[in-house]
Amino acid sequence: MEKFDAVVIGAGNGGLVAAIRLLQGGARVLVVEKHNIPGGFATSFRRGRFEFEASLHELNDFGTKENSGDVRDLFDSLGVTDKIEWLQIPEAYRVLSREEKLDATMPFGVQEFIGRMEGYVPGSRPSMEKFFALAKEIHAAQAYSSSVNGQTDSKIMVSKYGNFVRCGSYSVNEVLKAIRMPKKARDILNAYWCYLGAHCDDLSFVHYASMVYRYITKGAAMPKMRSHEISLAMVERIRELGGEVWFNTEAVKILTDEKDGGVAGVRLSDGRDIPVRHVIANCAPHVVYGKMMDHVSEKIVRATNARKFAGRGFTMFLGLNKSADELGIENHNYFLYDTMDSVRQYERMKYISTNSVQATVCLNRAYPECSPKGTCMMYFTTLYMSDDWGNVKAEDYFRTKETVAKMMISRFEQDTGAKIADSVEEIAVATPMTYARYCGHPEGDIYGYESQYWDGLMPRLLMMGEDHLTRGLRFAGGYSMRLSGYSSAYFSGDITGRQTVGDIKREG
Amino acid sequence: MAYRFKKQIFGFMDLLRFKKMVPAREKRLAEAPATPLPKTYRVNETAAVLHPGCQKATLCDIATETEDTKTYTFALSAPMFFRAGQYVTVQAKVGGSLVQRPYAISSSPYAALREKKLSVTVKKSGFFSDWLFDCAKTGDEFTIGDPSGDFCHDGVRDRAHVVALAGGSGVTPFYSMAQALKEGSEDFDLTLIYGARTKKDVIFAEKLEALKSDKFRFVCVLSDEAAEGCESGFITADIIKKYAPSAEFTAMMCGPQAMYAFAEKELAGMGVTGKYVRKEANCVGDRDVKPATYRLVVHIRDQRYETQARAEETLLVAMERAGWNVPSKCRAGGCGYCHSKLVSGKFTIAGADKRRLADAKFGYIHPCCSYPDSDIELIVPMG
Repeated sequence: MEKFDAVVIGAGNGGLVAAIRLLQGGARVLVVEKHNIPGGFATSFRRGRFEFEASLHELNDFGTKENSGDVRDLFDSLGVTDKIEWLQIPEAYRVLSREEKLDATMPFGVQEFIGRMEGYVPGSRPSMEKFFALAKEIHAAQAYSSSVNGQTDSKIMVSKYGNFVRCGSYSVNEVLKAIRMPKKARDILNAYWCYLGAHCDDLSFVHYASMVYRYITKGAAMPKMRSHEISLAMVERIRELGGEVWFNTEAVKILTDEKDGGVAGVRLSDGRDIPVRHVIANCAPHVVYGKMMDHVSEKIVRATNARKFAGRGFTMFLGLNKSADELGIENHNYFLYDTMDSVRQYERMKYISTNSVQATVCLNRAYPECSPKGTCMMYFTTLYMSDDWGNVKAEDYFRTKETVAKMMISRFEQDTGAKIADSVEEIAVATPMTYARYCGHPEGDIYGYESQYWDGLMPRLLMMGEDHLTRGLRFAGGYSMRLSGYSSAYFSGDITGRQTVGDIKREG
Repeated sequence: MAYRFKKQIFGFMDLLRFKKMVPAREKRLAEAPATPLPKTYRVNETAAVLHPGCQKATLCDIATETEDTKTYTFALSAPMFFRAGQYVTVQAKVGGSLVQRPYAISSSPYAALREKKLSVTVKKSGFFSDWLFDCAKTGDEFTIGDPSGDFCHDGVRDRAHVVALAGGSGVTPFYSMAQALKEGSEDFDLTLIYGARTKKDVIFAEKLEALKSDKFRFVCVLSDEAAEGCESGFITADIIKKYAPSAEFTAMMCGPQAMYAFAEKELAGMGVTGKYVRKEANCVGDRDVKPATYRLVVHIRDQRYETQARAEETLLVAMERAGWNVPSKCRAGGCGYCHSKLVSGKFTIAGADKRRLADAKFGYIHPCCSYPDSDIELIVPMG
């Protein structure tokens, strides 16, 4: 007799939500996490007098009590919202691009956003209104799809959400051109593309529009004590519901049943076996099928080989010994690009030598008290669109890291006019090696499988059933059906947790 | 509906495209190669050299440095690369207990990377070091942890000139740095001002002398005797100025707390403050309180354990004394590796609270720097 109905491998965003959903569905749950703390990338760390956020720039789709987003609704139903202190991000973003000499700061709120855009790009209003009309319908169609667990009725889809279906197969650029949005307005609107990590010829419009819609209508939120507060709140909830969380406990194998090839247990790194028939893997299928399971079918191997790794992460964290005002850091959230042609930009982001694109945050601009008076904190993130860090040998590693760090600082100074280089009191740099080590992701990938045209949000959601190839094994997190990002990973845990509850109930 | 999206000439073609998404993906998934999935990746392989995790290592050499310091050299089972100045934990079974201590690495980064050799230099000063001095012999097996800590030169944060102030065995990270400058794994200017009691207490005297170069300068400051070529007294501003006339440097200090307090004042007088003064943390020891014992209940995975904890010792020491395999790394409260959930009980933190904000909120503590003030119950990760 198994002691647990389900084991969740990995206490990342997807795994934690999945565990709560399983417990709410009556399952007995064990979460195993190889680190000593939960959250995966959703964590924080201390350096001197600073506590750095490890990964969260801003939580999308959370909203406020009065104007709640889907993530808040999810957190409400998980019972964690009130365990966390929230604050609102003041404005959407500031985007700067060198080629177009673009410098635009965009607000939250649909009318405010359209109005500001009209100021920057006179005549853009009709196309912006179309964009938000489409985005609103996409959002409604997604809500309908979730409400029926993806089992949509095609008649209802075509009759009620016709625009969703008609634009559902196109890329961002295809749709924005079709609605005749002026180029400069597209450039400004596309600033968020690096949050999804595929260029706008490849990126599904539905996916992008839905993200932008959620940001602009619901704003963005941040837990005061960094994402570590969310992760600990979830662990707290799991324990309240009777679940177990074992830290410093690495799962190395998923054991299979000889008869049906399905899940029979989990082997820990110390050799201990936990018998169980259901596993939710909050990690990459490449890792699970590549080294955690014996006897993987050819179909699974082919399907896994077909996927493309998305951006490999690089983040520099700076604790500065002057205030944001003193240093000339004006905004919370910057996107710095070479060009708004995301296809060419994507190419430049393949190599260490040519990539200085950055999404940069100064948390003090949203939360002035996040660091001691007279100081501020920043984090600078970029993605590498190829395995270029794989060419860096161990002996060149620290130098390479420092070169990129200096390049990012000088880029920020040049583009924004702020002066930060002499005020660095604390620094930490996370490279693809850091991410590879911390979460075990291949090549230091932090964005799961790339949202390529053929493998984007829509086809993945439509194929959840077909993608479930091993009895008792489901996936959560950035590699799964909702793709990467905080809100997406939480949703994936919600979906996969509820699906597994169903699997358990069907077994009786 | 006010607005109807259409891209193709005929609207139904947009619908058809939508319907083709699933078959298109099915085809892509089925037609990919059947080549076996990779077991590992280049970035992950390099990550394993930078962060090898705990590994078995064989003690291959013991060298006596001074009367009360010895250097222990280990043959690693896997190559490792680190920043000169970092530390590792050294773990061994002592009697019935698994004990580990953090020690600054005293060998060079390339020796660990290319020859799989790693040394720590230990002063005889307590339970584990006494055991090392008296019992450890070559051929013995140990567990060595990840290179850790950020007591190292950073080209973004620090000035190109580092003035290192060392006290006693606090010289070890700087000896590693001096070797790193020589071999080229680090690149900055280092002036080492090394305080010791007498000449015979100076660790690595000849080796440091031999490493002197245009990048590395070195002088001893002896408190208890006068000797040729050495300064006398304490490390004062005058001595620092003599060897580092320009105050354009980053000071890095490693030594006893009393030295930090003294040197910080001297440095402040020279205008070297704030981010330009970096101190290595010292291990938390016993506290001076009225002796008392409390009941300590600990949950590790699905096991429950119980022991007595002494008021004067940290919770980590109580757990190690009981023989349990519990996590520890810096033993100074900063790294967070021993992060444990407090179920119930009262405690006092040694020195500043270095926990994350949410840890304090949700009742997590760092046992390495927390003393019990009552009976205590904890959930602790596996060591």
